[in-house]
Amino acid sequence: MNSLERVKAAIAFAPADHTPAVPQLFGHAAALAGVALEDYIRNGELLARCQIEAYRHYGHDMVFAFMDFSVETEALGSVLQYRANQYPDVVSYVLTPDSDVSALAVPDPTSAGRMPELLRAASILRREIGKEMPVAGCVLGPMTLATQLLGIETALYLAADDPGRFEKILDFAAEVAVRYGIAQIEAGAHLPIVFDPAASPAVVPPQFFRELLLPRLKRVFAAYRAAGALANWLNIAGPTAPILPWYPEAGVDIANFDYYVDPAEAQKLLPATCLDGNMKSLSFVEARPEEITAAAARLVTAFAGRGGFLLSSGCEIPLEAKPENIAALVAAARGGD
Amino acid sequence: MINPEMNKLVETLLEGDHAAALAEARRLRTAGMASERIVTEGLEAAMQRLDDKCTVESFNLLEIMLAGRAVSAVVNELYPEGMPPERGRDTFVIATLEGDIHDLGKNVTKMVLIGKGYRVVDLGKDCPVENLVNAVEREHAHAVLVSGLITPVIPQVRRVRPALAARGLGGVRVVAGGAALKQATAGELNVDYVAETAFDGARYLDSLARGAV
Repeated sequence: MNSLERVKAAIAFAPADHTPAVPQLFGHAAALAGVALEDYIRNGELLARCQIEAYRHYGHDMVFAFMDFSVETEALGSVLQYRANQYPDVVSYVLTPDSDVSALAVPDPTSAGRMPELLRAASILRREIGKEMPVAGCVLGPMTLATQLLGIETALYLAADDPGRFEKILDFAAEVAVRYGIAQIEAGAHLPIVFDPAASPAVVPPQFFRELLLPRLKRVFAAYRAAGALANWLNIAGPTAPILPWYPEAGVDIANFDYYVDPAEAQKLLPATCLDGNMKSLSFVEARPEEITAAAARLVTAFAGRGGFLLSSGCEIPLEAKPENIAALVAAARGGD
Repeated sequence: MINPEMNKLVETLLEGDHAAALAEARRLRTAGMASERIVTEGLEAAMQRLDDKCTVESFNLLEIMLAGRAVSAVVNELYPEGMPPERGRDTFVIATLEGDIHDLGKNVTKMVLIGKGYRVVDLGKDCPVENLVNAVEREHAHAVLVSGLITPVIPQVRRVRPALAARGLGGVRVVAGGAALKQATAGELNVDYVAETAFDGARYLDSLARGAV
């Protein structure tokens, strides 16, 4: 079985030769290759080369055309600060609470900001290894993009003080996610992962998710399915147990779960949805390889009777992770070889 | 038990209705109630109710921020020059350390602590450890709180306790919180306590103030 077949089998709850290893390796691929992060996130070809190199090094089962969480907001006019070996931060947000979001146009992914570079990365990855290896793209979910357009404190206060205006921003953010995600699929990504950390119950109450975010996520995922996405993947970290049961309604096929959620609980809440998780991301920096092996083996065992599982971290693996810890995760997925 | 005179203030604070909370605080002041009573019997009671409600499972930033904004509005009204040191029970220094510019968790924690009647000196984000130690010395702080969303800030966190000790401030407790830091233990971070939420950290500081730790 190749990686693509293995991941497809997991999504379909079908038998596979072993559990797919899908560590969330983004900027770590730059660190592994000795490439400066600020170059990696601005050059699609370099990003693709580093992802391929990381795959050849670790032998895991997915590559990622992922830059950072500021690509969309930069393409829309926010100003970023790039710093050595860190993801960029927004220093000037494109929207204020008084802005009229209708003055913003959905960016053209072929020309706006770094979006074309990400498309280039997806295209190279698909062309070079995509016959056997799933290529994942990355878009921000509506809530997280709203926070990236306004700043998170401003966004949350606006959600409470002027819900009508905030919902317009969410609608706009969902349109951005649809267009950018479809462009990634057309460029070669098998699927765009929707990252929406600001939709976590640690940030907004579950009812907020259900009433304001679920309908928009549903629209986004329906559009991806129609565009031919291999599957719909929603990645929200943190204590997501209260919102997981709504994922199937959103059209989610792969649900990320973090270390806050017990694997047995996640299985109970999503009996027919492929799950990915839930190793502590910090453990890849701090733990010893044998600890990673033991934790990963426990997870593989917990899902052995069910299938529908991608062995992963619950959140991004830090840039400074120890390579031997990632290798331990991959070996554990293969049954310890 | 909430003083019935404070019911409306507590209710508006818990609803996060900052305009209504401010109006009610002004009404209480005009009726002759001392600022200190409004803090101890109104604000602190509201924060206690919020604390009881916010277990780890149901803690969310939106509700805390709205209540915190209402509390801040009332405190600014009562003490436009800032909470006087003699009024605040203890003083804490809070910061997001150098290398991390994510300060929402810090801001929320600050609001919770102010609501509980503490004096909080906020050093902002991307703060060098040296500045933190200087502030502890200058402000006679009882504890230091550091927040971190990203893992590369961890080496800075580990430096705080030795830096305090080198200045003869080894008795000052260090509390860590935030998405990256709370994945680690206190021992791993070389701090005294790792807070799961802002309220969890505040409870630890309450116990310090009571001399229970």
